[in-house]
Amino acid sequence: MVRNRYPRADALEQRNHWDDATRRVVLDRVYNIPEFKHFAGQRRATLETLCTHVIPQTHRAPERRVPLAPWIDDLCEHEVEAFRFDDMPPNHVAWEWGLDGIEQTAELMFDTPFVELERPRQVAVLEGIRGGTPPGEVWQRMPAKRWWEFVAVRQIAGVYYAHPYAWDEIGFGGPAYPRGYLSLNHGDREPWESEEVR
Amino acid sequence: MKLHVHLSPDWILDTEMREYRQSDEVDFCIVGCGAGGGVLAQRLARFGFSVVVLEAGQWHDTEDDMVSDEAGSGSLFWNDLRIVGGADPLELGANNSGRGVGGSTVHFAGFCPRLHPSDFRVRSHDGVAVDWPIDYEQIEPYYQTMEREYPVSGPACYPWGKPHGYPYAPLQAGSAGQKLIEGCVNLGIPVVAGGAVAIPAGAVGKRPHCIQRGFCLLGCKVGAKSSTMNSHVPDAVAHGAEIRTGCMAFDVPVEERGLVRAVRYHRTLNDGAVIEEEQRAKAVVVAGYAIESPRLLLNSTSSRFPDGLANSSGVVGKFLMAQAGPVVWGRFDEMIRQYKSPPACAMTEEFYETDPRNDFVRGYALQTVSPLPIAMSHLLISEGGVYGEALLRRMQEYNHYACVGVLGEILPDERNTVSLHPTEKDQFGQPVPYVRFNLFENDRKLMAAGIARAQQVLVAAGARETHAVNRYAHLVGTCRMGANPRESVVDQWCRSWDVPNLFVCDGSVMPTQGSSNPAITISALAARTADWIRQEAPNGGLTRRSGSAAHA
Repeated sequence: MVRNRYPRADALEQRNHWDDATRRVVLDRVYNIPEFKHFAGQRRATLETLCTHVIPQTHRAPERRVPLAPWIDDLCEHEVEAFRFDDMPPNHVAWEWGLDGIEQTAELMFDTPFVELERPRQVAVLEGIRGGTPPGEVWQRMPAKRWWEFVAVRQIAGVYYAHPYAWDEIGFGGPAYPRGYLSLNHGDREPWESEEVR
Repeated sequence: MKLHVHLSPDWILDTEMREYRQSDEVDFCIVGCGAGGGVLAQRLARFGFSVVVLEAGQWHDTEDDMVSDEAGSGSLFWNDLRIVGGADPLELGANNSGRGVGGSTVHFAGFCPRLHPSDFRVRSHDGVAVDWPIDYEQIEPYYQTMEREYPVSGPACYPWGKPHGYPYAPLQAGSAGQKLIEGCVNLGIPVVAGGAVAIPAGAVGKRPHCIQRGFCLLGCKVGAKSSTMNSHVPDAVAHGAEIRTGCMAFDVPVEERGLVRAVRYHRTLNDGAVIEEEQRAKAVVVAGYAIESPRLLLNSTSSRFPDGLANSSGVVGKFLMAQAGPVVWGRFDEMIRQYKSPPACAMTEEFYETDPRNDFVRGYALQTVSPLPIAMSHLLISEGGVYGEALLRRMQEYNHYACVGVLGEILPDERNTVSLHPTEKDQFGQPVPYVRFNLFENDRKLMAAGIARAQQVLVAAGARETHAVNRYAHLVGTCRMGANPRESVVDQWCRSWDVPNLFVCDGSVMPTQGSSNPAITISALAARTADWIRQEAPNGGLTRRSGSAAHA
């Protein structure tokens, strides 16, 4: 279980010490959650369940959970794809194929849709993909390991660790301009940063 | 046109910038405004030449466009599509590619070590790769000049390569950097605090001092870290250069006499509309770095150059080198808070040179790196695709990690290439770059040794456990300079062997890379090229290739 190790951490509370441009970007991320546009039906349900495995948040109060799936949907709608492996399709296609692939693997392993599986069986499906040789036609045309690391986990974790609630969980102070830092030695905290309770 | 760009909180580049007409035949059209193009533009403008710089990206206003936020900083990077392949495909689009005025110097960590004298003689000393057409002594005065102009801070007595001192005092290292120092000291390994880093411990000109914010890799909102955007480009503008942003070059046409006379480009207007334009120029400088420069040359085909402009050697796009950049992290009992202080703050080059006791040639440096949370999570995920509670728990140790970057020399190989992709097109309809990269035996052994050394250092500093993943940085080598036109693209002055009024002025000209971060070398070469141009242009040196000019 993930414990709260930084009891006084509240990056959002420091918002008045941030510059305007940064405040706009971070608050927009926290308060303007995009509507689903790209994924619907089974794919959307699979995506939402996948997110609960990659970044489980049951340890958090419901109002302190970070929305993940809407941002993956948004990413697929507004694609910025700086590079693409020559054995992978465009990123939004990789998402579509991968979510379909999870379904194929679940059906082939357990004869049941992924979202209806009990959690340990869902884990077995994902571990198969992570391991690189899951059953399913999709994984014949797209390398499963690559999809797992570069598409699924990196991108979902990227959404999570962009959020102030995640920063509080790891004791990262968030934006630091224009104030900067003065306590630089021995891992010291600034007066507005939380001590760690191990 | 009127410029109004923050370069620091209270330094606004608020000035009228000269604008040329496309029909004006300017002296120089430079493609790309980074470590090479930015310095060359400044030099040429100061020498009285008329200069237009075509920059694909935009100005990065430090107040309005840069944010103190990891996920919100994507616009600093080159995000146009590239296809990557080979046995060890490179990730692109972040640390190894800049976009906008200043290029990658806007988001580099700031490490600015010089190459060592041995780097220029790798073939002679080690029997691999190639020698440069110049020696260290020929670039040394330009290193000294650039270290004052960037400026670069570091120790007064820097012991590696040819020993030298730095003109500006370094910042205090943060807790993460102190772990590298402590580990090295405990093992008896010479190490320097402050490194050679383009962040001085004080104000310089209109630029204030560093506030130890730790976001260097996402652009310096303070303006304390040097980039050519704040070190050279303002001076270029003041001396009449035009920096034309939003302009993506796609063709450098060659005329009957074998000279280039213009650059064709797509210009994206403020309303998003794209128009095609052509800037006439007496000479052209390609300075788009190791992917875009060969791409532009390969895309500029003609009956005279069916395989791409300046490519009679067939070497354009070949010998791509990434620098090995494995990241090694150690977990410590005590708090580190690696996000504080600039990531670049301590280093050792003790293992830089070939050591006969090794089973590989050449070597590596160890440098501080301090990933912010998203980058740290990506490192952790690289260890077998870890996810779920295991990932969350490891990320909760974020403040207990100190990271060391291995910066190692990968040798040039003809099979590592940038070419035009046969089917994929970019937003302008041009073929996208296809970047293929493979590690070879020496590279693998060198990286493994560097990782082992970094782990040893972290353990000596008290790390309870260490982890490592392979990473790469700094792309160079695809338009190499050399001593003869059969095996290289440009001569020692960065001038094309094939086209007398065409230059390549960026990291792609480097025949080998050493274990030094390349920005200061790129800028030093640009300044050297500018001096040659100043001397030779009045004698007609840009319209013909004479024996004396080629082998001076």
